[in-house]
Amino acid sequence: MRYIMELATAFLGSLGFAMLFHVRSQKLLLASLGGLLAWGIYLLMGLVTDQDVVRYFVSSVVLTVYAESLARIVKCPATLFIVTAAVPLIPGGSLYHTMEYFMRNDLAACSAQGLTTVLLAVAIAVGILFPTSIFQLVQRIGIFAKKSHK
Amino acid sequence: METNNQTLPPDYAARLTVMAEAEQANEYLFQILEIGQHMLQCGGEVSRVEDSIRRMCIAYGAERADVFSITSSIVVTIHAHRFGSLTQTRRISGQQYDLHRLELLNHLSRRLCTERLSLEDTERALDAILSAPQYSFGVQLMTYALISASFSLFFGGSVLDAAASGIIGVVLKYLDRMIRKTEANAFLSALLCSCLGGLLSGLAVRTGLGDNMDMISIGNIMLLIPGIALTNSLRDMFSGNTLAGLMRFIEALLLAMTIAFGFALVAGLM
Repeated sequence: MRYIMELATAFLGSLGFAMLFHVRSQKLLLASLGGLLAWGIYLLMGLVTDQDVVRYFVSSVVLTVYAESLARIVKCPATLFIVTAAVPLIPGGSLYHTMEYFMRNDLAACSAQGLTTVLLAVAIAVGILFPTSIFQLVQRIGIFAKKSHK
Repeated sequence: METNNQTLPPDYAARLTVMAEAEQANEYLFQILEIGQHMLQCGGEVSRVEDSIRRMCIAYGAERADVFSITSSIVVTIHAHRFGSLTQTRRISGQQYDLHRLELLNHLSRRLCTERLSLEDTERALDAILSAPQYSFGVQLMTYALISASFSLFFGGSVLDAAASGIIGVVLKYLDRMIRKTEANAFLSALLCSCLGGLLSGLAVRTGLGDNMDMISIGNIMLLIPGIALTNSLRDMFSGNTLAGLMRFIEALLLAMTIAFGFALVAGLM
């Protein structure tokens, strides 16, 4: 029940952000499904490992592959799908708790929570960059292959 | 009586055509920069903007185009052996994310490369893109409420928390619009929004609308966090635009910390 609630709100949250960034028509649905996918993968990875960093990493790899492939199918910038689908992964709660501990003068908890926030952000960043670079590489190889045929 | 014509150099006519050509190139470059500027302003990555500008310049006959861009500025120099080099720079200020517009601009830049549209056609196409309708203010208010309420639930808040978070989201949208009119600095605006958000969530819990102050606040924090800037800056850094990416990354990071700080500050005081 808890999982269904999380998936539904991940979908709605991504939908909200897609609308906030003025995304239109069918892309609105595709972008929100990306958010659902991202959180779904995160939950599924929970069966394999309880390392949050690994779960965030795999989830953002999958969502980037989803976004880059869609960008080529519907012919629009991949950023549109990445930005909206990555929203449920943003460690906003963790960031808030970091600052909360800081205000309570609990510096030990603050630094531990802060480190978690940073590590999660790094996991997401690397997870997004890794497939993007591979997609770019494949595209470049494709261009070279075309040129050498001429 | 001698006319002035005799003092003119023998290649006068040729020079005139070169000057006319240079002038025309300048006008085209201005239009291309116009497209680049709008791409940056509505949320395009620096690497995309640089790449698009270079492609457009080459498509219109520049032999070489050197483009350098960061989030707040674009510099382009084009070279052609007929008239030498031409440079134009653009200072970019103010961003309003609109990914639909980015998509249209991206499409226009591709059309420019393949069809080589005339100046008038480019201007008309650009005007059409810029005047395309956006979501109305009412819809935007709903969007703010939707995001806040969703993430409040997402992070484990109760239904009451979600309702409170949604209402506060709407208030924050009004505040955001008021601050935008005064053109205040982004950090001050983030601090004001987050302090008011924290204050309202505290009040909501005191009056019984909402159970957990932190769950209400987290919904609003997700709304304010510059997610698009963070993702774009990382993409830029790893595609070779380290400087541009780093600048935007630090800006986004400071903003995110300011926002979380504002909420926690009020929570600590209450």
